[in-house]
Amino acid sequence: MNSAQIEIQLIASLVAIACAIPGTFLVLRKMAMISDAISHSILPGLVVGFFITQDLNSPLLILLAALTGVITVILVERIQKTGLVKEDTAIGLVFPALFSIGVILIAKNANDVHLDVDAVLLGELAFAPFDRLIISGVDVGPKSLWVIGIILSVTITLLIAFFKELKISTFDAGLAASLGFSPALIHYGLMTVASITTVGSFDAVGAILVVALMIAPAACAYLLTTDLKKMLGLAIIFGVFSAISGYWLAHWLDASIAGSITTMLGLLFLFIYLFAPNKGLIAVIYREKQQRIEVSLLTFLLHLKNHSEERERHVNHLQEHINWQKVRAKTVLELALKNNMILIDNKIVSLTQKGDEFTSKAIDYIITNEDAQIEDMKDDFFLFRG
Amino acid sequence: MNRIKIMKEPSEKKEIPASAGRIAVQVDDLTVAYNYKPVLWDIDLEIPEGVLMAIVGPNGAGKSTLIKSILGILKPIAGSVSIYGKPYDQQRKLVAYVPQKGSVDWDFPTTALDVVMMGTYGSLGWIKRPGQKEKKAALEALEKVGMLPFKSRQISQLSGGQQQRIFLARALVQDASIYFMDEPFQGVDATTEIAIINILKELRKSGKTVIVVHHDLQTVPEYFDWVTFLNVKKIATGPVKDIFNDDNLTKTYGINYKVSIQE
Ligand SMILES: Nc1ncnc2c1ncn2[C@@H]1O[C@H](COP(=O)(O)OP(=O)(O)OP(=O)(O)O)[C@@H](O)[C@H]1O
Ligand SMILES: [Mg+2]
Repeated sequence: MNSAQIEIQLIASLVAIACAIPGTFLVLRKMAMISDAISHSILPGLVVGFFITQDLNSPLLILLAALTGVITVILVERIQKTGLVKEDTAIGLVFPALFSIGVILIAKNANDVHLDVDAVLLGELAFAPFDRLIISGVDVGPKSLWVIGIILSVTITLLIAFFKELKISTFDAGLAASLGFSPALIHYGLMTVASITTVGSFDAVGAILVVALMIAPAACAYLLTTDLKKMLGLAIIFGVFSAISGYWLAHWLDASIAGSITTMLGLLFLFIYLFAPNKGLIAVIYREKQQRIEVSLLTFLLHLKNHSEERERHVNHLQEHINWQKVRAKTVLELALKNNMILIDNKIVSLTQKGDEFTSKAIDYIITNEDAQIEDMKDDFFLFRG
Repeated sequence: MNRIKIMKEPSEKKEIPASAGRIAVQVDDLTVAYNYKPVLWDIDLEIPEGVLMAIVGPNGAGKSTLIKSILGILKPIAGSVSIYGKPYDQQRKLVAYVPQKGSVDWDFPTTALDVVMMGTYGSLGWIKRPGQKEKKAALEALEKVGMLPFKSRQISQLSGGQQQRIFLARALVQDASIYFMDEPFQGVDATTEIAIINILKELRKSGKTVIVVHHDLQTVPEYFDWVTFLNVKKIATGPVKDIFNDDNLTKTYGINYKVSIQE
């Protein structure tokens, strides 16, 4: 790896982390579309900022553009508050309007502005290492590395300081307000961070990838954990993983880095959507199958409990008495045997004491719906989960 | 049946005069609007310290809105609220709140214990993080509502009644003087309802003021000693034995309630 390659991966990773943090809260607040709106509507802010500063990495330009992002959020909320349209419609009204103002501004000044719409939407990570920050003659690294590094440090500091406030206002804005943590302040704080991160990142990775990096890693993490801190951690890991693997995919395919990172994010989400242990598609299907087997098991145990006649308990006759068509009798017998719930003596099935107790407890649970007593059974049996 | 229970109340109420006299919550000329459409008109309300009060009224009467305005969650267009004589902002730590169930995101990645811990955030203030002391308080509150075995459960995996108990525990952990609860009995079974009302009665016994939005008119005389009738305007407020009558019920709900109450 040469130093440019390392720098590119470093920039991509820092952008991924800086996006994953506000992204996690956007996903939890069901505001994924807002990041899309922000990423487009900062364009006019950028153009105006560029007229003034002539430098895409100038802090003033970043602040101006971020301001447009916050204005977008405010406009969307204003329109929504009229009660005439829903949030998605409001977003659909605001960001094309602002974006097109940006496009017109660029077109009108195309001759003397070094800025084009393609670069804004897609960015060009490959060129990032060429634009270097020189301080009194010393080359201290690519400008975009510094920009995103500073933004990331601020984001992490804010996250650590206001983690509790972010959590409570996202989960229960009413309680947050009644405890004196202004949800509005936190909301606009988060929107400002999201806007600044978007502006600071998109020069390197483009508007579309910024949105993908904010939403996809958080959405993946959401499927895997029920702990907010872990969700943040996982989102960061997924973001960095996609950034680096996407870079090498681009290298290998000789394709756009931003496009490859987005592809990796998409693949990662698909993979997790399918294979996540609890919320994943396959886990859900498997769980339903298990539940079916266990319901049959319970039916079977209950049948044994209720019938003392040997004829009713003969292995070969079980098929007739219980509805076995759905599940193979063998599976159920094996499951019961494995759990020491039945004994098979001379083809006659009988309940063990454990089986007897289990059946009583399970029936009791199903009737009373009293959870506390069967907490310990839950690990063995899917039937009692949720 | 209920008539008899109303008769029983006074003996239980003897404890109240000891702490009565002070006004816990005072609402003056409160008008609240959503998008300039008033949903609460000119409400005057005095809640004496140490009562267990029901707020009753039909759906959309503004019960939740009243509580939210008292707690500063909504800004009124007119009027004022004071808690023990001072604005809410200065008295936050004296007040605990259990919101109506639909108002939180149940899929949020957090556990029962974590939600209860949120009750301690108010006394922590900005930036400071909860530690062992807060965790201990949260565990005690969970124990009190019988939810300790569920402390690590993700909240969406709890039943409706269990979720309600978690909210109650979160309010208990705030260790406040005044408790506002928006329909704590919504969707809970008889056992949980009794467990909750016993905890509320215990709170009142220790001198706290408890204000509960309540829909089951049958149980008002049994559970509460004070009641407020609300339907956009305040219809009446006072001791259950004095004002919980057909006249006020009819004024609030617009139909004759006589039959259903005596059942
Ligand atoms: N966010 C809101 N925006 C606009 N109108 C609202 C909003 N919240 C409540 N309202 C309206 O205000 C009125 C009072 O609502 P509120 O929630 O206070 O009623 P409630 O008495 O608590 O009813 P319920 O018994 O159904 O909980 C209703 O007409 C409702 O439609
Ligand atoms: Mg309500």
